[in-house]
Amino acid sequence: MRFLVMVKSNAETEGGIGPTTEDLTAMSRFNEQLSADGRIVFAEGLTPSREGVRVVFDGDAEPKVIDGPFAETKELIAGVWLLNGESLEDVVELMKRTPCTDPQGGVMEIRPISE
Amino acid sequence: MRFMVIVKANEDTDGKGPSAELLAEMGKFNEEMVKAGILLAAEGLAPSSEGARVVFDGKATPQVVDGPFTESKELVGGFWILQCRDRDECIEWIKRMPNPGGEHGEVEIRRVAEASDLENMTPEVAELEGRLRAQIAGEA
Repeated sequence: MRFLVMVKSNAETEGGIGPTTEDLTAMSRFNEQLSADGRIVFAEGLTPSREGVRVVFDGDAEPKVIDGPFAETKELIAGVWLLNGESLEDVVELMKRTPCTDPQGGVMEIRPISE
Repeated sequence: MRFMVIVKANEDTDGKGPSAELLAEMGKFNEEMVKAGILLAAEGLAPSSEGARVVFDGKATPQVVDGPFTESKELVGGFWILQCRDRDECIEWIKRMPNPGGEHGEVEIRRVAEASDLENMTPEVAELEGRLRAQIAGEA
């Protein structure tokens, strides 16, 4: 099975404050291990929502485009992994080991991909 | 530039599969994007009832919360990763995405970070990242 792991934003990711060299290194090492175990399909970080837009559809009207930033910081996505896993539990256990999570609190959502 | 296009789900669509009509139109739309050379990835997510959240709060053991997450306004139903010249090109493509039911829907377009966006990138990490990407691409 494949799973999308979404890391939610916080003030730093939304503020465009990039990870420290130490965090970058720890994350790369973690990804290296995941990759060695054949887990990673892809892993990407997103730029702050101020660079993004929303496209809103409503019936037949021309879709509306709303510029970022978007206020719901904790619901926004800061980065994703697409991972191979045996089961949801397997991926949950794996991701509990993610380095450099925000001590102020951070949320990761793990969702199976439809096949 | 690469963009992640995040299609939102809502209480109605989370849990329900796409209609046959939507599937067919989406297939055609994806084919068009493949022909244009912009489609890097396209996936739909299973309902949030099949998902989980891992909550980190600085404690040793993160908490696990089972889905569904229908209270969330920002529930994700699926996504594309597109390679476009710029944001406007990406927006123009997405405005044309199929919506056969004419339903209210929202899509978020976010630029994917590249190594050059990371100011604290060191040559060592950049090299490791490059190796990882090559390895992952080789497996795909």
